[in-house]
Amino acid sequence: MADQIADSVAASGSPDAASGSGPGSTSGPALPGGPAAGVRAVGRRRNRGRERGRAPWWVALLWLGPALLLIAGVVIYPAIELVRASVSHYSITGLRLGSAGGRNYSKVLEHPALNTVLKNTAVWVVAVVALTILISLALAQFLSKDFFGRKVVRWAIIVPWAASLVITARLFTLIYDYNYGILNHLLLSLHLISKPVDFLGDDRWTMISMVAVGVFVSIPFTAYVFLAGLNAIPTDVYEAARIDGARPWQVYWQVTLPLLRPAMLVASVLNIIYVFNSFPIVYTLNDRNPGYTHDTSITFMYKLAFKSADKDVGMSAAAGIFNVALILVVVLVYLRLVKWQESENR
Amino acid sequence: MATRRTAMLAVVAAAVVALSACAGGSGSKDSASKSGSGSGSVKSIKLVAAEYSKDNTAKFWNDFATKYKAKTGVTLDVQVVSWNDIDQTSSTMVQNNSAPDILNLNVYASYAKDNLLYSADDVLSGSVKSDLLPAFVKSGTYQGKMYGMPDLSSARALFYNKDLFTKAGIAAAPKTWDEFEADAKKLTALGNGTVGYAEPLGPEEAQAEFGIWLVNNGGDWKANGKWTINSDNNVETLSFLKKLAVDDKVTQNNPGKTNRTDGAFPLFASGKAGMVVGFSPLAATLDKDKKINYGVAPMPTKDGSAPQTYGVTDYLMAFKKNGNQDAVKAFYDLYYSPDEVNTFIKAEGFLPVTKSGLQQFSSNAGLKVYLDTLPNVHLTPTDDPTWDKVKLDVQQNIGTAVSPSGDPKKVLDSLQRNAEAGS
Repeated sequence: MADQIADSVAASGSPDAASGSGPGSTSGPALPGGPAAGVRAVGRRRNRGRERGRAPWWVALLWLGPALLLIAGVVIYPAIELVRASVSHYSITGLRLGSAGGRNYSKVLEHPALNTVLKNTAVWVVAVVALTILISLALAQFLSKDFFGRKVVRWAIIVPWAASLVITARLFTLIYDYNYGILNHLLLSLHLISKPVDFLGDDRWTMISMVAVGVFVSIPFTAYVFLAGLNAIPTDVYEAARIDGARPWQVYWQVTLPLLRPAMLVASVLNIIYVFNSFPIVYTLNDRNPGYTHDTSITFMYKLAFKSADKDVGMSAAAGIFNVALILVVVLVYLRLVKWQESENR
Repeated sequence: MATRRTAMLAVVAAAVVALSACAGGSGSKDSASKSGSGSGSVKSIKLVAAEYSKDNTAKFWNDFATKYKAKTGVTLDVQVVSWNDIDQTSSTMVQNNSAPDILNLNVYASYAKDNLLYSADDVLSGSVKSDLLPAFVKSGTYQGKMYGMPDLSSARALFYNKDLFTKAGIAAAPKTWDEFEADAKKLTALGNGTVGYAEPLGPEEAQAEFGIWLVNNGGDWKANGKWTINSDNNVETLSFLKKLAVDDKVTQNNPGKTNRTDGAFPLFASGKAGMVVGFSPLAATLDKDKKINYGVAPMPTKDGSAPQTYGVTDYLMAFKKNGNQDAVKAFYDLYYSPDEVNTFIKAEGFLPVTKSGLQQFSSNAGLKVYLDTLPNVHLTPTDDPTWDKVKLDVQQNIGTAVSPSGDPKKVLDSLQRNAEAGS
């Protein structure tokens, strides 16, 4: 599977493999489907275009119906409920007592732990995404080479992706454990430390330990995106670079990385969203720690509703709205920063 | 232009993903509980029960449902939920107007305050109510009416490892805090990772651990209708717990971040901890493993006065719905028949809540240390709806007081302030 995913992405992306279009016929990374497939698609599009105006609206609705129902049910309805909850006043039992106006929002903004939580969220997202991308770049480079046992290695890397996050996180609480953890056992027997480290309890270590797990589970997806990106880079640009006398490092810096830019963009935006919204890792690894010292805005939202003395669904819903707004702003700012438009129009 | 639109789509899609992830918890609906329309009686009622143990809880309630159906003709839908999730489950159900008919939880007063519950006058037979132990009737009573029906109880006591005591040259279980501290030091001095006292003040059950210590220093959560969380005695108690951890270093690492079931109990069960505050289910586990030679003693007190027992009881409460009153009453009648309630309590390894149960259990020598104290047990102030918040506040915050930089007085002051603001 692992091999096939990468290879099929590569096959469809690479002009060499797609349909024998020779070197020099494409510029930049080709779209999935390759040039030949692109021509076919245009043909199809034209045919469809001719018929479009004739289908009555109810036929269109018939086809769109299931999808629209699904979107209404699992996206729009919960979103409306979330907004409604955020302006409602709830008892600790969950009973709706009436309207709260903007009170839930102001209570969230005045919450004493808010600064800690926001700082944690920033550290968590930036550290996990940056490390994931750096490590995945190296890993993808390694995996794109042909070597004995590549299939096995590709498989091994996809495993953390396949496992449930809660299971992975629970497993890591056992690995990190102060008394029985295998990590402390290992470090002690290698004489790297003289007494065990409380990876999850020691305030200096908790965030580092969580970030390590976050990176571990984010690598598979990211590495595969980069791998597909690497396979899509035509060999002729490398040939050209070599003929011009570029050294390996220059080739990487001036050819590979710029051509990987679309993959990098996809990987970082999706990772920012995933990591920001990651609940199981932070919650599971941090569940023994009192207060909000290591909570991100997502676990903060959960604790507001069910674990803290506030135990207030309305306040939690307001925090949820803030979370959506926050991730939207972050993604927009990021896209603006990397000037994505330029790179895609090139 | 096309790319701009694609990007906007991507952003909207991202927002939608984030939004639906946030809404996940509040959107779940529960359709299993059907209350009859109009005033007719219901065909089925729903029970949401807390999971005391994987082996016994679901089994008991399923058997119970069969008997209940045979007796009344009404179906009992049973949903067993873990303690970790039950707060969330119950509040989501209430929020969605699909409360169960019967809920099993460790608090009830907020539900009574919101006028959601039947009182004992509505659903408990006189003979059943008079059989309940008075201490539990009192703790189940909110504003003069009983709403929380005790399902079982537990009392805490000091568990000590006899082999480690012998090795450290300690003759008997400590009776005062000074003795406790000295013994803990001797046990820790044995080395090899041994800790004197496994102290769990992490979020799981910190209120129970602190509770048993504070009643043995003449303190309490509430006295004469007023919160006394930051009383001098209580500050002294928490300071003592911090001293054990920070100055004496006779506890396990980071006691403020250690939970009971996945932290302190395993340490004791693996022979690494000399002492731990336990209850009868821990004894049942230890007896099954047969690895630890342990003794059970009353808790030591600050000044050597008579030991006080700290007890915990959980509750069954019934939600007011059209037409379910008779079915609920039949439920309680059956549950409190000695064969049912005592079978359940025995299987789970807890303590009885009825006079008849006390009699029945008194033949068990292993439970004597708890049973003798049960009628005068100190219970948490569950009859005050504010306790439901105080409990969460204690769980989430008291652990910070026993870290090296922790300030017991400040933590208790803050808990007291919040409690007063909430009542």
